[in-house]
Amino acid sequence: MAEPAAQTAFAEEALTHLDTLYRGALRLTHDSDQAQDLVQEAYLRALRYQHSYQAGTNMRAWLFAIMRNLFWDRFKGSRKDDVSLDDLGEFVLYDKLKDEGARPEADVLDKIAASEVVAAVDKLPPLHREVVLLVDVEGFSYKDAADTLGVPIGTVMSRLHRARQQLQKSLYDYAVESGIVRLTA
Amino acid sequence: MRCEECSDKLDRYVDRELNDTEALQVQLHIEGCPDCMDHYEFQDHLKRLVKHSCDCDTAPKAFREKLRQILS
Repeated sequence: MAEPAAQTAFAEEALTHLDTLYRGALRLTHDSDQAQDLVQEAYLRALRYQHSYQAGTNMRAWLFAIMRNLFWDRFKGSRKDDVSLDDLGEFVLYDKLKDEGARPEADVLDKIAASEVVAAVDKLPPLHREVVLLVDVEGFSYKDAADTLGVPIGTVMSRLHRARQQLQKSLYDYAVESGIVRLTA
Repeated sequence: MRCEECSDKLDRYVDRELNDTEALQVQLHIEGCPDCMDHYEFQDHLKRLVKHSCDCDTAPKAFREKLRQILS
């Protein structure tokens, strides 16, 4: 066990990443109480295994990895038998809006409510959702995301690509349904 | 660089994941191609929209305090 002062310093540094962990847990579980349980368990585990953390490396990524591994163990079983995404082909929202004559395309994005974006992220299968959370929301590099998830960088890139396609399709469908985009006959 | 190649690299450009040479090639292309600049700005805007929509959730204060006590 670490010296009390060292443990306190470790805990203080770890707690600076609480919002990242909580956000990630919330998006993975869709439930604040479950997210708090998951994050608390992750912090307790991190404290127990702090000797395995190498000072000066990416503590945020290390903590996130502990939390998401707990998520998969607790909520999804040890096998990551995730639902796969439908093959959308190449769905590029920008091209789609351009085809529909919705110019300037960026105006469409300004009209989409944050809650709809969150709903679209939540609809992604967890294996794809967590890549979007790491790269797009938390700003992880592909390499840090790959290390966090324990997969090759190529897997991060392919999951991110498919997740973004699905996300763009969901936002497009919402924009059409809500009248933000009017389809040309 | 052709527009098709630029489009293929746009996500990695927005993610700051291209090497310096590739990033410069994309930058030079979009600076001289209004359509690709428009596309780049859209993808960048979309990435920021996802970030800002999802990063407003923060840990409840009571939970933060509880954790601080548990970990001390």
